[in-house]
Amino acid sequence: MVASACLTLAAIHLLIWSMNRAAWANLLFSLSALATAALAGCEYWMMRAETPVEYATALRWLHVPIWVIFVTTVGFVLVQLRAGRWWFAWSICAFRTVALLLNFIVGQNLNYLEITRLRSIPFLGETVSGAVGVWNPLMLIGQLSALLCLVFTADAAAAVWRRGDRRQAVALGGSIVFFALATTVQAALVLGQVIVAPFTASPFYLAVIAAMGYELTREVLRTAQLSDSLRESEERMTLAADAAGFGIWMWESARNRLWASERGRHQLGFTSGEPLSIPAMLQHIHPDDREAVHRELQRAGETMGEWQSEYRVPLPDGTHRWIVARSRMYPDTASGMRARMLGVTIDITARKTAEQALEMQRDELVHLARITTLNEFSNSLAHELNQPLAIILTNAQAAQRLLAQSPPDLAEARDILTDIVSEDQRAGEVIRRLRSLLKHGQSQLLPLSVNTIVEDALRIAHSELIGRGITVHTALAESIPKVAGDRIQLQQVLLNLILNACEAMAANPPASRHLTLANAYVDGTIRISVSDSGCGLPSDAESIFKPFYTTRKDGLGLGLSICRSIVTAHHGRLWAEAHGAAGHSLGAAAASPGATLHLELPAVT
Amino acid sequence: MPAEGTVFLLDDEPGMLKALTRLLKAEGYAVRAFTSAKAFLESYQPQALGCLVLDVAMPEIDGMELQRRLTRSGALLPIVFLTGHGDIPMGVQAIKAGAEDFLTKPVNDADLLRAVRAALQRAALQGELIAETTLLHRRHATLTAREREVMAHIVAGELNKVAAARLGIGEHTIKVHRARVMEKMGVESLADLVRAAERLNLVIPANTNKN
Repeated sequence: MVASACLTLAAIHLLIWSMNRAAWANLLFSLSALATAALAGCEYWMMRAETPVEYATALRWLHVPIWVIFVTTVGFVLVQLRAGRWWFAWSICAFRTVALLLNFIVGQNLNYLEITRLRSIPFLGETVSGAVGVWNPLMLIGQLSALLCLVFTADAAAAVWRRGDRRQAVALGGSIVFFALATTVQAALVLGQVIVAPFTASPFYLAVIAAMGYELTREVLRTAQLSDSLRESEERMTLAADAAGFGIWMWESARNRLWASERGRHQLGFTSGEPLSIPAMLQHIHPDDREAVHRELQRAGETMGEWQSEYRVPLPDGTHRWIVARSRMYPDTASGMRARMLGVTIDITARKTAEQALEMQRDELVHLARITTLNEFSNSLAHELNQPLAIILTNAQAAQRLLAQSPPDLAEARDILTDIVSEDQRAGEVIRRLRSLLKHGQSQLLPLSVNTIVEDALRIAHSELIGRGITVHTALAESIPKVAGDRIQLQQVLLNLILNACEAMAANPPASRHLTLANAYVDGTIRISVSDSGCGLPSDAESIFKPFYTTRKDGLGLGLSICRSIVTAHHGRLWAEAHGAAGHSLGAAAASPGATLHLELPAVT
Repeated sequence: MPAEGTVFLLDDEPGMLKALTRLLKAEGYAVRAFTSAKAFLESYQPQALGCLVLDVAMPEIDGMELQRRLTRSGALLPIVFLTGHGDIPMGVQAIKAGAEDFLTKPVNDADLLRAVRAALQRAALQGELIAETTLLHRRHATLTAREREVMAHIVAGELNKVAAARLGIGEHTIKVHRARVMEKMGVESLADLVRAAERLNLVIPANTNKN
């Protein structure tokens, strides 16, 4: 009965071990159970022995399973309880091995030098054999090893107890100690013929086996629970990933096996029945992206690093899907070698499409803005160009008349020519400015005086300001550092701010149309403020910088958004500030509080 | 030969002002140049004979505004407008408000000089008219109250007899008054007296022929 129970347990745990070679505890337990079965067999043999020699032989062979039990029990304690001292374990094994050797060398066995006779002992209603003879003093080595084993287990159990795992310490450590002690005492008593009983160690060992088995079974149950909750957690994760539009995938290095969630498969370009593999995955990538992805993937694998790629997966309809794949290599906890790569995939086609559309839109916007700006400024520029031309013509005609006189006024004519040259240069400058507005040239950031830019812009806006009856105030500090910028672009920004201010004051009576331009140097930045006494700002002041925000019927609403992008390209800031309802320093009517647009640029030091 | 009078030049662009000054001086005109309406108004004497060459687009007080102010103050300075933009509505408005001419920059010298000459001629004419009117005012002021009454009735076209009846005096007395009025007003005919009365904007009594 003992033997069959042990054999069953042994078979189960041997099976577990065969499935998971790392489960050493199961192997040790299995061997221990087998040995207990063998022990029971030997005991049965002894009980049925007919002659003293047969009894002695049985007893001699009995020590083989006992040796196995010792070794496996010590091993089990080490592996399962993760406690016990290795040197202690080795010495127990050594003692037991010596005892086993002596068992086969000295006398009839370890216990008896010679069995003189057998006697009949009543046992559980039957009559079984017991031995009488001269007992072997070397038996003490065996007893000593048993004692050591007790101390070793007790010590290990104490360590487990201290570690806080009290249940395991008591159940496993305590039972091993108790039953090993019981076995040893019983063996000593039986062999020493203090009590008359057959030699029955196996039931006690069976108890130890039961304790060990209980431990392992708990483990198995826990594993089962764990795998249940793992499955649940995987389901939850897949659900969450699906909901978020993520695909998940995993690649195991050891078996070179690729697994992916349903969405992951789809995103990686696999059809439903297609077997998953890394080469197939690469094959599904757009040829233009494949090489780069492969390289990155290899690098991540070799360096245990992360991998992230954005690539295209061609679709049967000729379009493609944009995927961003992100993954990380995880090492094996035991070996530290690369073990598995976990990754997610996200379909970013929509985002990519939007980005491309936006880029196209931006190009169009810039183009449109250039045209608009040109339209808005062409009047001013025409005026700008007209002025020097008019001066040149009048001067030239005056010169003609002066030279026609007798005597001709040569001195005055010379002065006239000097003026003509300088006016011509001014006209040339206007043309250059116009050209640079049209040109898609790279902007050059050069040190510039903000006051010059302000004055330039005011000059260009001159006729507009007069036409609208706007009074211009300037508060420009002279000694102020320069800024790095593109002159034409900054001019354009200021011009736009000025014209916007004009627009904002269109509804004001002419007497309260005040435009103020001021500069300030604060903390390494130069600030130019354009204030008006106009209609103020919408409640969301930022909205005026959005493309297509306009208050005009024919306005495109691109001016300020372009201004801001120009300023941003100059590492500066552009923002709007509404004046308080009480009106600002210029004493504008409370009904038209006005607004200030601040342009801030880093100073060149 | 340039016409008489001073050309007042007004342009906020110094280069333009200088060029125009040269051109007009080369033609022998007396030129006074200003870069702002304010500076011009400060030095301008309403009785000065001359014309104004005025840039429309100027800061603070622009050309149109200056024209309005001059008109309001009763100055009869002919104005030639210069503008950077060929703005027709503005030109029409300026001419309606009495501008002599409206020229677009760049302006041809011949056009400008012609306009300036015309403006100065008109200024001279206006000057004469003003002088004449002033004289008439002065003469009219020398009339007695009775003489003014008689003059009003005569220029209304009433016969001596009718006027005498109206005023309740004798026909002979009327004749004496009438001769004195003619003499004091420096006119030789009734037609001249009527013209003088018109110039003086005298209130002519309503025709009371109907009884």
